[in-house]
Amino acid sequence: MAKVTLTNVTKRFGDVVAVNNASLEIKDKEFLILVGPSGCGKTTTLRMVAGLEEITEGTIEIGDTVVNDIPPKDRDIAMVFQNYALYPHMDVYNNMAFGLKLRKFPKEEIDRRVNEAAEILGIKNLLDRKPKQLSGGQRQRVALGRAIVREPKVFLMDEPLSNLDAKLRVQMRTELSKLHDRLQTTMIYVTHDQVEAMTMGDRIVVMRDGLIQQVDTPLNLYNNPANMFVAGFIGSPAMNFLDAKLVKEGETYYLEGNGDFKIAIPANKVEENPAIKEYVGKEVVFGIRPEDLEDASVVEKPVTADNSYMASVEVVEPMGSEIYLYLTVNEHSMIARVDAHSTAKVGDNVKLYVNTNNLHVFDAETELAII
Amino acid sequence: MPLTLKDIARMAGVAESTVSRAINNKPGVGKETREKIMDLVRKYNYRPNQLARGLAKKETQMLAIIVAELSGADYKIIKSIEAYANEQGYNCIICNTDNNQQKEEAYLALLSNQQVDGAIIIGGELANKNIINTALNKNGLLVLVNCLSEELLIPTILVDSGRGGYLATSHLLEQGSRKVAIVMGSRKDYLESEKLAGYLQALKDYHLEVEEKHIIETDGSREGGYQAFFQALEEGDLPEAFFVTKDILAVGLFDAIKMGGYLIPEDFSIVGYGESIISSIIDPGLTVVAEPLEELGRYAAEYIINLIQGKNPEEIIKVLEPDLKIGESSRFKIR
Repeated sequence: MAKVTLTNVTKRFGDVVAVNNASLEIKDKEFLILVGPSGCGKTTTLRMVAGLEEITEGTIEIGDTVVNDIPPKDRDIAMVFQNYALYPHMDVYNNMAFGLKLRKFPKEEIDRRVNEAAEILGIKNLLDRKPKQLSGGQRQRVALGRAIVREPKVFLMDEPLSNLDAKLRVQMRTELSKLHDRLQTTMIYVTHDQVEAMTMGDRIVVMRDGLIQQVDTPLNLYNNPANMFVAGFIGSPAMNFLDAKLVKEGETYYLEGNGDFKIAIPANKVEENPAIKEYVGKEVVFGIRPEDLEDASVVEKPVTADNSYMASVEVVEPMGSEIYLYLTVNEHSMIARVDAHSTAKVGDNVKLYVNTNNLHVFDAETELAII
Repeated sequence: MPLTLKDIARMAGVAESTVSRAINNKPGVGKETREKIMDLVRKYNYRPNQLARGLAKKETQMLAIIVAELSGADYKIIKSIEAYANEQGYNCIICNTDNNQQKEEAYLALLSNQQVDGAIIIGGELANKNIINTALNKNGLLVLVNCLSEELLIPTILVDSGRGGYLATSHLLEQGSRKVAIVMGSRKDYLESEKLAGYLQALKDYHLEVEEKHIIETDGSREGGYQAFFQALEEGDLPEAFFVTKDILAVGLFDAIKMGGYLIPEDFSIVGYGESIISSIIDPGLTVVAEPLEELGRYAAEYIINLIQGKNPEEIIKVLEPDLKIGESSRFKIR
């Protein structure tokens, strides 16, 4: 059990800065997710914690020990990658045990660890099977078992589920979360899949171009993204962004979009985020999630000019419980997740109701969140 | 002075680019012209300048064979790798790391610096940080030989030494021996423990009880093999046969048995492990578990060259089975 602390960690490959001045404290027993698009630095960060990559600047501590110069084998970590080796001639027991055997652990200790790991993973009845007799999920468990038997202080996982089919991936997500609850060990998990990140982590670190964008709980990231990148990356379908100008009429602040919309920002949101007042007359970006847009004809809330605007329907995707409308507003594309009762058709001009309590406003220059 | 591409072109009466296309089996050369060029290539034993060729293709046509600890068995593997690599137009450099991680890192840098197209790692038991990190990198084309990887799937060729232990023991059991002892190095040594597992499995399959006194652990030396026999004598209830897991142990065991006035195989049948010069000069000729070292080397070379050429092997982990070479030291026992 250990916390992991990164302090001003930078990794350069020649002129390329892969990780830029990252500082992060991962709490003991925490399940932390590093997420971001390809090339954002998440895997490099994980590899530096593992000791696979050297740190150019800064320090990494596991527990209270600075591990910069400690080789991976002495760091008390275990790594799980998407591509793991199951040796076809070894049974499950030996596939989990060979690392311990090679490290010359006593037989009794190996037996104890393998049996305990197998019990936790629910594969005790498979210990004498060969890999070819296992399903995809069972194989994945064996790979996890190999990491568990090392009884590490920290598990490092690099997209371990990305080779599995969609159904199994969903199942393994739940199992990994349960496993974390059971093992009570610090886990750092890298993924490019924001759904995986949202469903599994205690906290999520969103990275882009080597920089940490935001570190927060899944819900806070979703509800209060720090900038447009996080807002657009977390959530599926992604948040809609529309160029707007902030105007003030009387005591009310409006997001005005080129004659297409004029949405009133609720007074309480202005009070909670007073910095918005500085933006009157300036260009901003109005952000709204697809689920905060509704077909005004089926919504039961009062629809006014202050909380709605017109959009033309390009594509209608019925999903069963809801409908995805792909729309355009003044050449901006956007998506609305509307009630299944909506009768909107391709080519229609529909009125969209905006749940203004959940709107977001970003600085057009810095892309940082204002609301 | 060696013949150049220009010389071949002049002799064939074609452009140099035509010769290049013909040699590289590329389209755009008529059948007759191609045959004419290839006849000249064969006749004058023309070999393209590998360096120039590599520069053009951004390849070096060079492989690194990185050996954790050069031993007699590795020699056959290396020769086999080299033979196949040469056939395919690759040259090899042999790097001995002496299990030193810094030396290994320096040799692996040949790969990341693109001074070689791929590397074959032989031995070392468990893939370490240097290997894992190299394999994770884009240009890190690696094949492991007799080395396991805990974290990551790396193309690997292995010999199942547990199967070897099984074959040796079953052979002795099939010959009629019922009390078979194993004389081995340390149980903590991974390969030794695998051979022991094979031995135990064979006893189990023959419904025989395991006698702890018949598992004779030694320091793996000639003296260890010698003492093993006296240990068996002291225990009483002498075994009828021995499976010896190392050639040098077999030498010591032979010495002790012969010194005691016993005969091999009349009094004791013996099976050793590994075909080596040592096991070949023991008298009577030792029955051994032979590892398919040449096949191992050939697969390793084939795997790495395929990977360089963008082809993934069908089986990423290939496990080869040893077989038994029957000598004079094991003979059917009439009960």
